[in-house]
Amino acid sequence: MPTRRGFLSALGAGLATASFARVLDAQQAVQGVNTGTANVPMDEARYRPVQLPSRGTGPSMTDAQRDALEHKIHCQCGCTLDVFTCRTTDFSCQVSPPMHHDVMALVAGGYSAQEIINAFVNVYGERVLMEPEQRGFDLTAWVMPFVALGGGTALVIALIRRWRQPAAEPESVSTLPMNATPDELSRLDKLVRHDDA
Amino acid sequence: MILIGELSLWVALLMAAWGTTAGFAGAYTRRPELIASARRALYATCAFVVLASVGLWTALLTSDFSFKFVAAYTSANLPSVYKFTAFWAGQEGSLLFWALILSIYSSIAVYTGRKSNRELMPWVVPTLSAIALFFILTLCFGANPYTRLDWIPPDGRGLNPQLQNPGMAAHPPNLYLGYIATAIPFAFAVGALITRRLNAEWLSSVRRWVLLSWFFNTVGIVLGMWWAYVELGWGGYWAWDPVENASFLPWLINTAFLHSIMVQEKRGMLRKWNVTLVVSAFLLSIFGTFITRSGVISSVHAFSQSSVGYWFLGFLILAVSVTAYLVTTRLSDLKANAELESIVSRESAFLFNNLLLCGVAFAILWGTLYPILSEAVQGTKVTVGPPFFNTVNIPLGLGLLLLTGIGPLIAWRRASVRNLRRQFTGPVVCGVLVGVALLAFGMRAFYSVLAYAIGGFVLGTIIQEFQKGMSARHRMYGESYIVALFRLIARNRRRYGGYIVHIGVVVLFAAFAGLAFKKEFDVTLRAGQTFSAVDGFGDHWTFVSQGVSDYDELNRHTTAVLLEARRNGKFVGMIKSEKRQYIDSQGNPTFEPATEVGILDKPHEDVYTVLAGVIGEDTAEMRITFNPLVWWVWYGGMIVALGGLIVMWPQADRRRPQAGYVAPLAPGLVDAGTGAA
Repeated sequence: MPTRRGFLSALGAGLATASFARVLDAQQAVQGVNTGTANVPMDEARYRPVQLPSRGTGPSMTDAQRDALEHKIHCQCGCTLDVFTCRTTDFSCQVSPPMHHDVMALVAGGYSAQEIINAFVNVYGERVLMEPEQRGFDLTAWVMPFVALGGGTALVIALIRRWRQPAAEPESVSTLPMNATPDELSRLDKLVRHDDA
Repeated sequence: MILIGELSLWVALLMAAWGTTAGFAGAYTRRPELIASARRALYATCAFVVLASVGLWTALLTSDFSFKFVAAYTSANLPSVYKFTAFWAGQEGSLLFWALILSIYSSIAVYTGRKSNRELMPWVVPTLSAIALFFILTLCFGANPYTRLDWIPPDGRGLNPQLQNPGMAAHPPNLYLGYIATAIPFAFAVGALITRRLNAEWLSSVRRWVLLSWFFNTVGIVLGMWWAYVELGWGGYWAWDPVENASFLPWLINTAFLHSIMVQEKRGMLRKWNVTLVVSAFLLSIFGTFITRSGVISSVHAFSQSSVGYWFLGFLILAVSVTAYLVTTRLSDLKANAELESIVSRESAFLFNNLLLCGVAFAILWGTLYPILSEAVQGTKVTVGPPFFNTVNIPLGLGLLLLTGIGPLIAWRRASVRNLRRQFTGPVVCGVLVGVALLAFGMRAFYSVLAYAIGGFVLGTIIQEFQKGMSARHRMYGESYIVALFRLIARNRRRYGGYIVHIGVVVLFAAFAGLAFKKEFDVTLRAGQTFSAVDGFGDHWTFVSQGVSDYDELNRHTTAVLLEARRNGKFVGMIKSEKRQYIDSQGNPTFEPATEVGILDKPHEDVYTVLAGVIGEDTAEMRITFNPLVWWVWYGGMIVALGGLIVMWPQADRRRPQAGYVAPLAPGLVDAGTGAA
């Protein structure tokens, strides 16, 4: 007969895994038909202009800084790359070049890196970033791995404490009634040392 | 042959169904005739899956386009080698490949374990048959590679150009060999849990399979990195793509198990933990397959979306529920025997090693699944890209690297202060010297300096361990140091093979740390124009465009740009990068244009060029990247694999006397150098 604990754990594990079914439905509803091994539907309609009036103060950063900024912006063509990597890798992408032109225009217009990122988030939403923001609910993305690690560390320390038994003091050992000769004790010592290696 | 293959798939389904039913019934009722019948059914399943695979290979190699799979993934002008590898290029064929490897593995495991695991085998056989049944069911009703088209097209669609690469020919089979090998330990774990025979015996049976899984997973991952680097053109070898992450998870869990099993063998501890790790590695393999095939998370590596995701989800739910039930109801049987004597002991080091390995696995799983969670909670699917994974995993990875050096220096049970001082002095000095030297040379990238310093410490540890062993052999047997080195490794493959793996890990970390000095440039060059740049080592590079050329070759039309590369004014080579438009035998274009990167590789740095586009007739838009130490990723991977191979290599039975002559051995010599780590 299944125990209560076994039944509940199996049920819990099953339900947790089954929650993927809903996600799977949602995914299959929104994704188009894919081809070959690349599960990346290309959609140039995903481009949306990100434009702000020029401040007339000249470029706000160097080309290298602009490239670094483009590494933080997610290309919206359906790939998993950032704007810089996508536009310099895939010449058939119709989305990363106009996104790059928007970045260039904003840089030329005098906007800082953070202002440009904010402008892209305002238009595309948070999905345009290459990483979750470190605020609101998305902070959990950053915190959770370290919380889990902290919990794991606490668990390991608790287990070590529970398992730990103070080893007998050498003096107390010598007081035990033993029939071993000094030679036998020496051999035993050697064996233990060998085991330590 | 093709027809035989097609029919064999259905016969294999019946055999697997009988093996599962008769096996579980026989194991439950302890009827030997049913148990034997299930075992024979498992062998028969293997034979028929082999026939089904040979049938599909025949259809691929003879370009029988009446089959949907053949028409979808090959064309008449595809080179034969890629017709052969097209077997695992698509959903249906790769599932058959899964079933093929699984049934071969299962037969080997059951045959080799028939005498040593008499109590477990009645449950192992139907468990393996059930897994095979799932895959064959999915093949027959969800993704049948033998589905025929209503009409026969004159040519097939061809193979995705990115898969027409030697790396892609070898990467998936190795990854599958690694993934699927986790099924054998899983079946043994299920058998051990059901029969409550949870002593060390079943673990010794599965350790070799876990090692095999770990080895092929390592080779598969490194080959995948190489393929991504030379073929995809984004300039790196690891992009934290969900499918890449999924392949890494079982590797991390298997690595944790290969360390924690030593604690159980030596001290009888961590029994619950080891069962959990064995089960988790298999479940994560299935989870990885589910991600690749369901379309639940978008990935450049994923197969086309199909209903197969639901099949895998159902199987995952069943497997998770059954194992969760078995583990929780057997907790009392898994109670550890031994006690920890000191926190400063190798047992503790392994505990923290497992904690960090599982911590990294959790962080990767969490980051991979977070977009789904975010969509469910906030309605927005955020992107979790490389910046997140690097930020979270670099400190954890460095912690792991540090433990790689600490573990071997601490004795089992308890370490005295004197012992610690003696063991740690040399390696710590090595690490500090490396760190100080790099700072003195002007390196300021914090994580890189830290990685190299810790790497120095770990190398110091390994060198010290080898030096001690070699000196002992030199003193005891008068062997030269070279002979002593080889015999040391040969006599204790597990321990010293493990150290070789650690050397490979240090090399890999050194290569990863080099990425901090990567430099990339977005350039536009007309024929004859020059571009100059300074790399991360301070060398001055000049690139002169030799112009853009167009030509046809084999089954493709190629556009190429050639650069003359000079370092500090000295000619070092020509670099050609291409865009290829593949065509079918009728001359029609197939797929999107593919990138063929140009790489000038040197031990300290790769110059990596990508042709992003062509303006007019002779102006190329390019990305030029200086990638430091990439060479060491491939060689580090090879060292890790070599170490794994040494650990796996069967130890000769030294009790068996050699024919004709038996040398008298002095007492104590037989066990010399066998202090297994």
